[in-house]
Amino acid sequence: MTAVSLRGVGKAYGGDGAIAFAALRDVDLDIETSDFLVITGRSGCGKTTLLNVAAGLATPTSGTVTVDGVEIWSVTDAERSSLRNRTMGFVFQFPSLLPGLSLEQNVMLPLEFSHKEHADAGQRARELLDMVGLGQRMAALPRELSAGQQQRVVIARALINRPKLLLADEPSSDLDEQTEAEIMEILRRIHAEQAVTIMMVTHARHLVAFGTRHLEMVDGTVREDAEHEAPPGSTGAA
Amino acid sequence: MVLSTVIISRGGEESLRLARERLGADVVVVPRGSVTGVEGALLLGNATNTYMPRGVAESIAAVPGVAIASPQLYLTSMANSTCCSVSLMFMFAYDPVTDFTIEPWLKDKLGRDLATGQAVGGANVFVPDGEEKIKLYGYDFDLVGNLEPTGTNLDQTLFMTFAAASDMAEASRTKAKMALPILVDTVSSVMVRVDPGADRNEVAKAITAAVPEAQAVPAAEMFGSYGSQISGVLRTLVVIVVLTVVLSLALMALVFWMAVHERRRQIGVLRALGATQRFVLLSYMTEAALLALAGGLVGAILAAAAMYLFHDLLVSALGFTILLPSFASLFGLIVGGLLIALVVAAVAAFVPALRASRQEPAVSMRE
Repeated sequence: MTAVSLRGVGKAYGGDGAIAFAALRDVDLDIETSDFLVITGRSGCGKTTLLNVAAGLATPTSGTVTVDGVEIWSVTDAERSSLRNRTMGFVFQFPSLLPGLSLEQNVMLPLEFSHKEHADAGQRARELLDMVGLGQRMAALPRELSAGQQQRVVIARALINRPKLLLADEPSSDLDEQTEAEIMEILRRIHAEQAVTIMMVTHARHLVAFGTRHLEMVDGTVREDAEHEAPPGSTGAA
Repeated sequence: MVLSTVIISRGGEESLRLARERLGADVVVVPRGSVTGVEGALLLGNATNTYMPRGVAESIAAVPGVAIASPQLYLTSMANSTCCSVSLMFMFAYDPVTDFTIEPWLKDKLGRDLATGQAVGGANVFVPDGEEKIKLYGYDFDLVGNLEPTGTNLDQTLFMTFAAASDMAEASRTKAKMALPILVDTVSSVMVRVDPGADRNEVAKAITAAVPEAQAVPAAEMFGSYGSQISGVLRTLVVIVVLTVVLSLALMALVFWMAVHERRRQIGVLRALGATQRFVLLSYMTEAALLALAGGLVGAILAAAAMYLFHDLLVSALGFTILLPSFASLFGLIVGGLLIALVVAAVAAFVPALRASRQEPAVSMRE
């Protein structure tokens, strides 16, 4: 079953007199619900742009993007925002917790935009923080945490709305090897145990092993890595 | 700044209006060439040293169109008197037989005329603590009542009859350290009420023509020089206020541009988590409104406090009286000031907020 579908997607920067740069070139891609898709490539090859276009965060210059059956660039901004809130979770490369909010408040932040009552929000936030090993520090502020711990909280926040799709942009790029391994293990567990589709972009080829599927990006185009083997215990197929 | 300007301009104009109203006269007759001096006496309590013979009152009363002519004498100004809450106290004598400004009030409040040895005070005049009478120039006055506050020099004036003034002058020669310098049978001004239907300007011209030592001014034209002074100060203040508002607007717009720029990543993150463009716009506008309300309230309270605390200093610096607003009016002015602050903040914040809300989340999150 397809979670995300891109057809003929292009994205160019510049124009209007400036020299246009094509970050994405006619990309066709289907991401299945069982995928833990790892997209690798050199800096500037278009990985982040692909993730942003798929998530509805950047407008494609051409083509269509369908997420959970909705063609996201043909709906209003409010509908697209609602779709993001309901079906997607995000892990960014940079520190993305709000500094004035506690860990618990940061984790529950997406619920503010869902316009629904969440009677079990506190309980759910505690469970998620427990899952990433920070259940005892719910009242702490982000500045009291290390970069790796903050990234774990971001993962907890990404899951609060029970998303179908988790999008991760270089989630471990600023972390040491051990913390990186811990973060990747958490993502692998989420994929395996909670049946969440994961789309992760990274320049680190050694992280490909954590995914069930690998794409290589070169100059705005995607190439399937047919040789990739799913890790033991994964739910997807390579 | 806006609140202070409004208080000063409205207070000044209101003070002039009340002063004209309090005169209760249609025409004011003063010694020729001393209109400004009498205006200063009536408005600011300045001492006058120009007088007319008391007999001019009868001459004026004989002019066609004059219904009543009542002489008044501005005695002297007393600095730091113990019976007045402001620094200067003014003494004012009137003729109870012809008077139509103080007498009606006395009859209404006291049911009788002032007797010898009695006086009535403006709102700021009182009997000193531990005393039973007001002692001036060796003469004791019973303070039998106080007028309503007006914001003019009347608030710091002690009113007495010509007879009492004469007795006080007499007593001062033997009982006071310094004798009260009253010229015998002189007046400072004559208040005139015209016949019903008579033209005030024409009557004023007729008085000026008939009485060589006097100059008659229709009451509506009194305090003209102060009116011009208020207008001049007001024009300057308006220019300063406009500049201040424009500068505030520019500064606030700059502050909001910087705030939006600094938080662009947070905006991008919030948009990724599901915040709509409308949410981002409303968040910034709400922040602007709260800042405007907080800043506006602090500014308004400081401005109002300064106006009350430094009222005397302001009056002496500006050269005209300022009638301070009642608390109800002040509340209205503060609310008006807050509304202006809200509008300025909304205008300053709108464009940065709109741009922030419409920016693509991916662009917001990019370094």
